[in-house]
Amino acid sequence: MPSKEEKFMKKSVILLTALFLLVGLAVAGPASAADSIKIGILGPFTGSLAFNAGEMKKGMELALDEVNAKGGLFGQKVEVVYGDSECKPDKGLAAVKKLVTRDKVLVVGGGYCSSVNIAASEFCHYEKTPDVVAIAISPTITNRGYDYVFRTSPNSPMFLMGINKWLADVKKPKVVAFFMENSDYGRDGQKIWEAASKKIGAKVVANLYFEIGDTDFTTQISKLKELKPDVVFNIASTTEAALIQKQAKELDFVTQWIGVGGQFTQAYFKMTGPISQYAMGSSLEPTKAMKDPVTAAFVKAYQAKYPGSRPGIFSSQGFDNLKVILDAVKRAGKPGGDLAKDRAKIKTALTATDMKLSQGTIKFGKDGQVYTVLPSVVQVQLDKDCKPDTQIIYPPERAAAKYENPQPWSARTCK
Amino acid sequence: MVPVMDSLFLQQVLNGLITGSVYSLIAIGLTMIFGVMKISNFAQGDYSMVGAYTAVFVMAWVGGWLGWIGSVVAAAAVVGLLGVVTERLVFRPLMTRWTDIDMIMVSIGLFILLDNLAQLFFGATPRMIGDPFGGVTVNLGVASTSLLRLFCFFFAGITIFCLELFLNRSRMGVAIRATSQNRFAAQLMGIDINQVYRITFGVGALLAGVGGVLYGTLFAIYPTMGALPTLKAFAVTILGGMGNVRGAIWGGLILGVAEALGGNYIAMEYKQAIGFFIIILVLLVKPSGLFGRKEGA
Repeated sequence: MPSKEEKFMKKSVILLTALFLLVGLAVAGPASAADSIKIGILGPFTGSLAFNAGEMKKGMELALDEVNAKGGLFGQKVEVVYGDSECKPDKGLAAVKKLVTRDKVLVVGGGYCSSVNIAASEFCHYEKTPDVVAIAISPTITNRGYDYVFRTSPNSPMFLMGINKWLADVKKPKVVAFFMENSDYGRDGQKIWEAASKKIGAKVVANLYFEIGDTDFTTQISKLKELKPDVVFNIASTTEAALIQKQAKELDFVTQWIGVGGQFTQAYFKMTGPISQYAMGSSLEPTKAMKDPVTAAFVKAYQAKYPGSRPGIFSSQGFDNLKVILDAVKRAGKPGGDLAKDRAKIKTALTATDMKLSQGTIKFGKDGQVYTVLPSVVQVQLDKDCKPDTQIIYPPERAAAKYENPQPWSARTCK
Repeated sequence: MVPVMDSLFLQQVLNGLITGSVYSLIAIGLTMIFGVMKISNFAQGDYSMVGAYTAVFVMAWVGGWLGWIGSVVAAAAVVGLLGVVTERLVFRPLMTRWTDIDMIMVSIGLFILLDNLAQLFFGATPRMIGDPFGGVTVNLGVASTSLLRLFCFFFAGITIFCLELFLNRSRMGVAIRATSQNRFAAQLMGIDINQVYRITFGVGALLAGVGGVLYGTLFAIYPTMGALPTLKAFAVTILGGMGNVRGAIWGGLILGVAEALGGNYIAMEYKQAIGFFIIILVLLVKPSGLFGRKEGA
C-alpha cells in the first residue's frame, strides 16, 4: 500500500516529466532553414578535456568562417551543429545519434577520445553517414573495414613512427627502460616501443608502472638511476610527467626522456621551467612547422581571428578536419535532398581527398586512415632566457634545431 | 634475500622516510581530531590543499626561502583558522546528534565543497612551487637527495617536536590529552570541552596545512590534490592506532619506507597496494594498531 507521500512523489514525477517534454519540444522548435549545408561535429566540449576541445572548435570556426565568407557552398550557408561527447562513450553515442537522425547532418566530423569514436563511428557506419574523425588516435577506429569511417589525424603507431626512426638512425640506444601510466595509453605505447627497441637491438631493463594521480616517483627514479638506461620511455600526462622531471632532478638522475608528446602543454612548461630541458616527444604543433607555407598561412589566419592566441595541435587538427569535410561536400555536388544518396556521394568524394593543409597532405588509405600526416620529433630546448619550448629535431627536412644530448645537472647553466 | 647494505636499498629507505614524514604530519591532525572528538575527518587532505594554495600566493609575492618560511606561517594561520571555523559551523552543530555516520557524511561534504571551491577560484591547472634552494642536491655517500627534500624531512620533524612539547608541557595540551582519554571525566575536572574541541580542530588543521605546503613543495598543487594525502593519512592512522599521535608519527614513516622498499623489490605497480596490505596485516594481528591502546582501556 503506497503511502500518501509516495503517491505525491509519483504524481510530481509524472508532472515534471511532462513539463520537461513540453519545454524540450518548444526549444527544439521547427527544424532550422533547410537551405543550409549541415555538418555535425562531435567533441568533449564539457568535462576535463573541454579546454582542448575548445581549441579544436576554434580551428573549425576558422575554417567555417573562410567558407561562409565566400558565400558558403552552392549558394547555401554552411552550418555546424556541435554534439557534446563529454569524452564518455554513452554520451558520445547519444550525441552522434541526435546529429545523424534528428539534425540530419550530411557528415559527422570532429572527434577526440578514442573510446567515444570507436562507438560513434560504428553507429555512423551502420547509418551510412560519413564519419571523419579527428584527434582520437586508437588504431581500432579505422581498422574494422568500415567504408564510411575516415580519420584526418595520425593513429598511435604513426605518432610514434618518427621517434622510432630517430632511435634507429640517430640515437641508437643500447639500454632502454619503460616508465608509464598503468592505463591503455601507457600499455599501448609500451607495446609499440618495446617492438621498436627489439628491432634496433636495445635491451629493455625495466618496465615500471605508476597509477594516474600518483605524486611520489622517487622509488621508480632511484631504481632507474641504478639501471642507467640511455633512454627512458615515459608515457605520462602533463602533471605526472612534470613531477617525474622535477624528482629526477632532485635525485640527480640524467637520461634521455621520451614521451608520446601530449604532455607538452603550457601548464607543463609552467611547472617544470628549465628542468624539462632535453625531454622529447612527437608533435604536430603548427607553430613549429612555419617552414611550410600552408601551415604558416593557417597560423596567420588563426592569429588574425583570435588575437593574442597561439594555435596548438588541436586547433590545427580541427581546422584540417572541417576543411577536408567541406572539400568533399563541394566535390560531391549540390545535395539533392535525398539524405542517403547525398551521404553516399560525400563518402565517395572523401575517398578521393587530396589536400595540402596545416598538418601536411591529407589523402586517405583504403581503410580511411590518413597516412600522409606524420608528426615530427621534438625536443625541449631552452632559449637564452632559460625559457623551455619544443623544437623539431627530426626528420631533417623539417628540423628547426639540432638534437642536444642530455647534460649532467651540474653542467647545466639554467637552474 | 634483501641486500641490506646495498646503496639502492639505503636510497629507497631515505626516499621512504622523506615521503613518510609528510604523511605523518598530515596524519597527526587526523588522529588528534579522531582521538578527541571521535570524528573521521575526510576533509583533512583538503586542509592540506588550502595550505598549499596559500603557499602559491605567498610565493608569488615573496620568492626564495624567505617566501617559503613565510608561506608555512601563512598556511598554518589560514588553515588553522579554517579548522576552527569549520569545527564551529560544520561539526559542532552535529555534536549533540552524535552518530559517526553523520560526521563522516558531513566531512565528505566538506571535502567535496573545498575541492570544488578551489577549482572555481584557482582553476584546474596544476602548479608547482619553485624550489627555495635552487635545486641543490646533497650527496650522503651511499644515497643522494635534494637539499629541499632533506629540509622538508627536518622541518616535518621540528613541527612534530613542537607539537609534542605543546601536548605534554602546556595546560591546553594536557587538557586535550585528558579529553582524548575520557571526555566525561575531563568535563568533570572542569575542562572547557568546547575550547578543547576548538583548539584540537585548529591544531589538527594547522598541521595538515603545514603538511600541505611540504607536500606541495615536493609534489604538485591542484584542487583534487587532497585526496591522496587523506587516503594515506587514514592508512597511517589505522597503522599507528586511531587517536594515537606517536602512532601516527611512526605509522607515517613505516608506510613511506614500506612503499619505497615494496615498490623497489616486489613490484612498482603494486606500490600503493603494499601499504594497504600491511594495514590489513596489522588489523588482523593487532586491531588497535601498532601503537594503539587496548580496546576499552
